[in-house]
Amino acid sequence: MTIIKASPTPALPAPLSETSVIGWMQKNLFSSVFNGLLTIAALYIVYMVVKGMWVWGIADAVWVADSRRECFSINPDGACWAGIFAWVDNIFYGRYPREELWRVNLGILSLFIWMIPLWLPRVKAKISIGLTTVFLYPFLAGYLFSGGDKGIFMQIMLTAAIVCLAGNTIHATIGVFTGRSLPEFLSSLFGKKNVHEKTQRNIFLGIIALSFVSIYVWQMSWSLGGVSWTKWGGLFLTFVVSGIGIASALPLGIILALGRRSKLQVARVLCTSFIELFRSVPLITVLFMATTMFPLFMPEGFVLNRLVQVIIAVCLFNACYMAETVRGGLQTIPRGQFEGAHTVGLGYWQTMGLVIMPQALKHMIPNIVGNFISLLKDTTLVSIIGLFDVLNMLRAIGKDRTWLGLHIEPLVFGALLFFLLCFVMSKYSRHLEEKLSTNQNN
Amino acid sequence: MATWFGTTNLRCKKSEYQGENVVAVSDNNKEYVHIKPKEQFDFFHDKRVRSAFYQFLIAAAVAWFAWSLIGNTAQNLESRGMHTGFGFLKVAAGFDSSFKLISHEPGVGTYGRIFIIGALNTLYISALAIILSTMLGFFIGVLRLSSNWLVSKVALAYVEIFRNTPILIQIIFWYIGVFSLLPRVKNSIDLSFGTGNLLLNNRGFYIPWPIPGDLLWLSGVAIIIAVIAVVILRRWAQNRQDKTGQIFPTFIVSAALLIFLPGIVYFMTGMPLDWDIPKLEGFNFVGGASLPPSFMALLFALTIYHASYTAEMVRAGILSVDKGQDEAARSIGLRKKWAMSLVVIPQAMPAIIPPMISNWMSTIKNSSLAIAIGYPDMVSLFMQTSLNQAGYAVELVGMTMAFYMFVSLTISWLLNIYNKRVQLVER
Amino acid sequence: MKLSTLLTSVVAFALIVAPIAASAGKTLDTVKKRGHLRCQVSTPSGGFYNLDADGNWYGLDIAVCEAVAAAVFGDKNKKEIQVVSTQQRYTALANGGSDLLCSTATWTMSRDTQLGVDFLTPNFYDGQGFTVLKSSGITSALQLKGAKVCVTTGTSSELNLADFSRKNNLNISAVAFEDWNVRDATYLKGGCDAVTVDKSSLAANIISFPNPADHMVLPETISKEPLGPAVRQGDSQWADLVKWTVFAMINAEELGVTSANVDDMRANSKDVNVRRMLGVEGNLHEGLGLSKDWAYNIIKQVGNYGENYEKYIGSGKGALGIQRKGTLNELWTKGGMMYSPPMR
Repeated sequence: MTIIKASPTPALPAPLSETSVIGWMQKNLFSSVFNGLLTIAALYIVYMVVKGMWVWGIADAVWVADSRRECFSINPDGACWAGIFAWVDNIFYGRYPREELWRVNLGILSLFIWMIPLWLPRVKAKISIGLTTVFLYPFLAGYLFSGGDKGIFMQIMLTAAIVCLAGNTIHATIGVFTGRSLPEFLSSLFGKKNVHEKTQRNIFLGIIALSFVSIYVWQMSWSLGGVSWTKWGGLFLTFVVSGIGIASALPLGIILALGRRSKLQVARVLCTSFIELFRSVPLITVLFMATTMFPLFMPEGFVLNRLVQVIIAVCLFNACYMAETVRGGLQTIPRGQFEGAHTVGLGYWQTMGLVIMPQALKHMIPNIVGNFISLLKDTTLVSIIGLFDVLNMLRAIGKDRTWLGLHIEPLVFGALLFFLLCFVMSKYSRHLEEKLSTNQNN
Repeated sequence: MATWFGTTNLRCKKSEYQGENVVAVSDNNKEYVHIKPKEQFDFFHDKRVRSAFYQFLIAAAVAWFAWSLIGNTAQNLESRGMHTGFGFLKVAAGFDSSFKLISHEPGVGTYGRIFIIGALNTLYISALAIILSTMLGFFIGVLRLSSNWLVSKVALAYVEIFRNTPILIQIIFWYIGVFSLLPRVKNSIDLSFGTGNLLLNNRGFYIPWPIPGDLLWLSGVAIIIAVIAVVILRRWAQNRQDKTGQIFPTFIVSAALLIFLPGIVYFMTGMPLDWDIPKLEGFNFVGGASLPPSFMALLFALTIYHASYTAEMVRAGILSVDKGQDEAARSIGLRKKWAMSLVVIPQAMPAIIPPMISNWMSTIKNSSLAIAIGYPDMVSLFMQTSLNQAGYAVELVGMTMAFYMFVSLTISWLLNIYNKRVQLVER
Repeated sequence: MKLSTLLTSVVAFALIVAPIAASAGKTLDTVKKRGHLRCQVSTPSGGFYNLDADGNWYGLDIAVCEAVAAAVFGDKNKKEIQVVSTQQRYTALANGGSDLLCSTATWTMSRDTQLGVDFLTPNFYDGQGFTVLKSSGITSALQLKGAKVCVTTGTSSELNLADFSRKNNLNISAVAFEDWNVRDATYLKGGCDAVTVDKSSLAANIISFPNPADHMVLPETISKEPLGPAVRQGDSQWADLVKWTVFAMINAEELGVTSANVDDMRANSKDVNVRRMLGVEGNLHEGLGLSKDWAYNIIKQVGNYGENYEKYIGSGKGALGIQRKGTLNELWTKGGMMYSPPMR
């Protein structure tokens, strides 16, 4: 005998264990006795750690004091953050003269303005903007940060950088608002819409030349006071070293990777041994090599200051890691691309530049960001050589007369600072990875 | 147009296609056609010539660069009165190392001996750090994949925190923030529940050290025999299980072998093992062995930092194994533990090993940061202290870098062999 | 790569690198062109190179730096003080990073001949000693059997400690530190039984301890420590300049010229030695490449050796309190070793 109902049974609501918080907790945290014990142990550990940090770092901490003794007299158990606050300027800017800090801030601001167009959707010619960042921004920043007398070369490059910055900004605003590029816009100003590309380009170049000359004349009238590199320090110096490191490591790394894959035996052997050499030694030995041996390599009388030695060492070291990243990216390009380019008649460099590299770079970007994160962390090693980067500044707090013995709080602050920077960047790189992988539909 | 003489029925055709000469040769009523392209040797466009030329250019440029570097170096060294040569390795070093695994007497021991001390110190702490961080990393990696939400989030917090903080800050923190705060010698922390054997204070960690008696080597031989016996037993038991399906209690028998065989020999030879227990005499502990606080700080920092990377690699490796494997293993009745260890992890190993190789080499390289806290490893002892006392910059830096290169390349070569054996053959 | 690309990159590289590098030439020319003297010290240490609350450097070694600046520029303030750790000070000096090292560096043969630096003449004769806690009951360095002694790495103190331990069979284990502050902090926390360094530094450091009365300096002096400035090897003219600057200060004390009476002496003195030194007669300055007021500027702005000794090391206000009488730092006329060759 079968019982048949004419209408379907209405679906019952989900059981309590699937929907409510208690149900979730039971499934995830207490599903078995062992699991329950684990949860309790984990809860205990978390509670002890968080409570300890809260009590030490916030509840008992001293936020305002004039010296470490005063911190002790207020509350000996808590953290003495007052020392960090007193040294904030040093930690971020080093011993840069306080009245010239606007130059550092201006340099950082101009970098942001320069690079923002890379993220705006309707702006064209992003690659050119990126290239100008790498090649021209260093001159603008270099002069802003160090100042002093300008030689002819510096004047030309500074003018070029300022013209480029202005041009980029105008191009970006035009692109966002009207969707056109700067040359198009300028041509339309002269009433020549939709003309031949060559005319656009000529008008564009003409206006560039005009602005170049006028800005050159303008910048000849002022110069900034010199600030010696010995006063650069803190987070500012960390970013200078790692920024230059990553910016020059990319072109060098591309050359090394191409050399390693090259059919020319000599190039392959040289590049492979160079890459393997720098990848198998610690960064600290490379830095030591830079400070002890580079001066010996220079011809008589040619003196490199310590900052330049360190930057060169960091660039060489990072170029080898970047070369491996590039090699990995190149390996993902199917052979068909190479063969296709060869069929069309492109030579080696044209193939690389027009067909292979644009595709490979897209694959490599998350790894490049990863490289930048580890370079940022590795920059702390320059404190061992004696440069006053962030870590050295933090350790110097404990050696200052007023704050003698304040060792732990600066280290915790430094750890927090790096954690924030690296965590945000690695989240961003993961986001980039997802965005790029969804773009490839194979 | 080429011609061919000497055979009958000669035929010669010239093809218009790209100027190739077609030479038809007939031989004993068989006709066949050779197509021989015209050999035009265009010097400047020949691939081999161009490649040779560019290689020559590159080699010449590099050689010129190297020659000018060497020339400048020689000139600078001479003008500063600094000497070159490896003779300094035979000169006695006037200083001592605060931690050494082999004996060294300042004023008698040479710089060559200092090099060996530095190398041993580096390898010692790197080996310990690698072993401990791998174990800890596997543990945390498995925790990350736990079904318990809280546990996996705690493991995630661990990984994120220690991965995103620079290793140097961690090392200095462990040294200044933890190991310098240990109590004085008179108030040492006793980790051996009051028996006074394991003592921790701000001068180091003191442990008893074995003093081998005369016949201890017999026990050593017994251990080696037991290990070989265990290996043979396992092979035999595995073969037997494959053939007949009978399970042999290998684990219990091997454990018994390993414990009882050397144990019996040890007791029969009269227990020839004495312990040198550290005793407080005068200022310090005499006897036993000790590890300085800088050693422990570096060990803790390296272990915890690299364990966070290992955990990520283990997790990525295990996740790379197809979920179907785990489900199939569970569906034939294997418990979760066996499914993991017999089915999933062996398949995850090929994905875990290559990044592990670079993680281990990274550990060795990061051990050079000992210079920041004063542990006398290769960089601190040989490259910095010796450089200050003796000069010879080029030789010292070169030898240090050669040492690290040698160690890195050896490890990666050995692990690549293991990697090839473990790689799955793709279908 | 096209030839044009290659040429452009070479030219670009040269243009970029050129502004960074200093120009070639001898040290004196480089210093004059730069406009200030670059002196190198280590972490501030009492009496010799210390920082006051306003960030100004003062001390006996700083006085040497100021004297050289006064000799070259006529202004003792045209100097830049760089802090380099003891581990890297000789490399930094030999590679041209600084012009003058004045950080209580001991003049030893191996340093003079092997490290690419030249020592000139000591401006302080010292010896190495030990600091211990009075409560430890140690009264002599020979009682330090099996002790742990804290020392700064890269110094002659490290080597002398090893020699002393070996000679007397004391089995001392050295705990080395890069920074003397960390070294002293470890000693205060009981991480080692004694600290060893030059006795003048010991005296300076004890003053900064929380309870100076708890510590004492052991009587033994275990080594000779002639402390003096150093320059890079290979530039004899610069070495002569620095050497004779120090000698000028010693000579001035010998002749009784002080910063107070130097104007009077220059105008009215009949002593031929004084007149030659202060540039009234003779042309000693030409050999050094300086102006004829070089010694006058030194004494007027910095003072003679005795004045500086008393101000920083002796009985001046805030000085270390090490008596000069009876030590090697007295003038040779009073039984010490401060002796200047004749300035003629």
